[in-house]
Parts: sequence; structure tokens; C-alpha cells
Amino acid sequence: MAIDFSVVETSVGPLLKGLAVTAHVCVLGIPAGIAAGTVAAYCREAPARAVRALASAYVEVVRNVPFLILVYLSFFGLPKLGIAMSAFAIGVVATAFYTGGYFCEILRAALHSLPRGQLQAARSLGLSEWHTQRYVVLPQIFGFLAPATTSLTIMMFKDTSVFSVMSLAELTYQSNLLTADTFAYVEVLGTTALIYWACSVLLDVAGQWSERYATRYRRA
Amino acid sequence: MSLAMPAVLAQMFAACAPFVHDFATGAATTIGSSVAAFALGTLIGVVLLVVRQRGGRVLAACVVVYVSLIRGTPALIQMLVAYYVLPAVLNIPLAPLPAGILALALNTAAYISEILRGALNSLGRGQLPAARALGMNGWQVWRYIVFPQLFYRSIPPLTSEFTMLLKASSLMSIIAVHDLATAARDATLQTNLPLQLFSVTAVIYFAILFVVSAASRRLERRVAKVLPHGH
Repeated sequence: MAIDFSVVETSVGPLLKGLAVTAHVCVLGIPAGIAAGTVAAYCREAPARAVRALASAYVEVVRNVPFLILVYLSFFGLPKLGIAMSAFAIGVVATAFYTGGYFCEILRAALHSLPRGQLQAARSLGLSEWHTQRYVVLPQIFGFLAPATTSLTIMMFKDTSVFSVMSLAELTYQSNLLTADTFAYVEVLGTTALIYWACSVLLDVAGQWSERYATRYRRA
Repeated sequence: MSLAMPAVLAQMFAACAPFVHDFATGAATTIGSSVAAFALGTLIGVVLLVVRQRGGRVLAACVVVYVSLIRGTPALIQMLVAYYVLPAVLNIPLAPLPAGILALALNTAAYISEILRGALNSLGRGQLPAARALGMNGWQVWRYIVFPQLFYRSIPPLTSEFTMLLKASSLMSIIAVHDLATAARDATLQTNLPLQLFSVTAVIYFAILFVVSAASRRLERRVAKVLPHGH
């Protein structure tokens, strides 16, 4: 079978436009999710039982319900509740919601990897709760968080392809439009896959770099 | 809130009542194809691992590229490739269900081979020379020493990989496989009750995966009893 490179050439423009939307969703959604996950992680250690239960219910929903179903539920269900949101806004919120559930577990594992004695030692040295977190906990857990957060980021970046079902004009949606138009499945899907792959590899490299940076004190 | 709860639940299940049969067959397809894809994926994953470890430089590099490609592209795109591109390239017709299972298997194989490779690197370094010294040949070492330990050690990550796989199986609905997600979407198109139908669907997925995690925890405890301490 022959590959028609002229189709590849004309597809690149629309696909990159789609990639911009994908990137936009990720840039807004993933950091918001990391913030939500941090809150959820501290809620899971909260003194109030109801707060703990709510936080773990959140994590369990994220871990046990497909992203696609949550997207369908929000996209078709929210208007029924009288909530009007654009596909883009739903995409950002869904990305944040899902990222948060996974990041909560990553952060908890990181926090539990620290020996408890360190916190008590820091407090007995007169460090405030905030200073303990900032100068004792944070620098150490960064090295632990970096690789897991990198794979989470790549996972969510790929999962945004699901937003094509709500006609959000991201990368996969643009690819679907092009294949419906040209029937050049090999060329268009191949180019799309290569774009996703290149971005994932770049994210992975950035993640490795940040891990080296976060653990530089271990080699000092 | 607490008063409205039973009414809401009753309404939810009433909305699903006409579709019980579709949901049940959809759930069966979801579970069946996930199990099939996981079995096939484990087989391919083991082959990938062995090729990477023993297959020479060129083949090992091919495995590395394959794993990176699978891990770097969305499962949804892989699903579309399996359905639209693979039949054209291989010149064979491929129905949605086998295409979906194949896509899931090829996807999970890459992750499984990485999980097993992680477990392989955690094995004691003296074990392999010791096995060779006892007179085992290469195949026997893998069969009796390496594989059993790899799988025992990998139960928790393999379970979480199965969870991811079963969630990803919902993407088969994009290529018109009649799985649980498709049943939910079709029912919604007929009734216009998305909140009720997709909530129930979410509950069904949740219940299936909850059982999987519980079973895995039991298995882990049993294996922990069998394995020597400090493994």
C-alpha cells in the first residue's frame, strides 16, 4: 500500500490546531487537578470522619469509573441539571477531576514514604507546621512525586482524546474530521499518532529532567 | 436530601428497567473482552520481555520503540488504528469486537512487559547463576525460577493494569462494539435520560472493578503466605 504524502501535508495544519486545544485543556486542567488532589490528600487525613469518607469516595470514583463515562455523564447530564457549560469547560473540569483523584494517591504515597520521626524532630527543633512542610517535607517528596506525576500528566494528556466524543475540536476530533473527509485513515491516523507520541516523549524527557533536578541534593 | 435519596434512586433504576437486557449483555461484553485482551496481552507482554532481554540488540530496540509508541499514544487512537488501518495494511477484514480486543491486548502488552521488567530487575542477582550452576538450561531457568516469581511479585501492579484495561475497554464503544458504554449511550439516545442512565452505568463499572480489587487483595494475601519473607 502506498502512503499519500499530500494528505499528510494538508492534514498537519488542522491537526496542529487541534493539538493547541488539547494543550490548552491540559495546561488548565492538570495543574487544577494537582491542586484538587493536594486538597483531597489532606482531607483523607482530616480529623472529621465525614471529610475523610468524602475524599476517599472521590478517589474511588476516579479509579473505578471510565473517563469516557464521566465525560458522557457531564456532557449530556449537566444541561439536564440546568448547568450550561461549553465542551471546553467540561473538558477542563473533567481533566482536573480525574487528575485530582490520581494525584491524591500519589501524594499520599509520597507523604507516607517519609519517616514520622522527621516531622517530630522538626517540630521539636521549633519549626512551625508550615516551615516543617516547606523545608522538611516538600524538598524530599519532590523526588518521589516527579516520576509519578510525569506519568499521570502523560496519561491525562492522552485521555483528552476522549473529548472528541463531545465534539471539542482537539487533536483526535480534528483527526476524525479529516478521516471522514478524505478516508485516508493510514495517513491521518498515522500523523495524529506521531504528534501524540512526540508530545508524550517530550513530556517524559521534561519529567526526567525535573526528577534529576528534584533529587540533586541526594548526589551532593 | 436524605428523604429525596430513595426517590432519586428509584427513578434511576426505573429509567434503566427497559434496558436491563442491553446493559447485562453490554456488561458481559465489557468483562469478556477485557479478560480476553488481558490474557492475550499477558502472553504478548511476556514475549516482549523475553525478546527485550534475550533477543539481541536490534530486536530489543524494536521492543523499546513499540513500548514507547504504545505508551505515548491514546488508547482511543490505537482503537481507531486497529479498526481502520490494520485491516487495510494486513488486507484482512476485522469486525469491531476482534479489532477492539486486539487493540486493548496490544496496548496492555506494552504496560505488562514493563511491569514484568520491573519485577525482573528486583530479583536477587545471585538466583540466575545459582540456577545455572544447578544444571538448569536457559529455558528451565525462565520456566521454574524467573516466571513464577515475576508473576507473584507483580500481582498488585498487574491488578491495577487490569483495572486500567477494563476502563479503557469503554473506548470500544467508539468503534461500535456493543459493550456497556455503547448500551448506555444507545439507551440515552432513546430516552433522553442521560443523568439516570450514565449514573447507573458508572455504578456498574464501579461494582465490577470493586470486585476485581477485592479479589486481588485476597490473592495478594494468599501469595504473601506462600512466598519466603523479605522477598
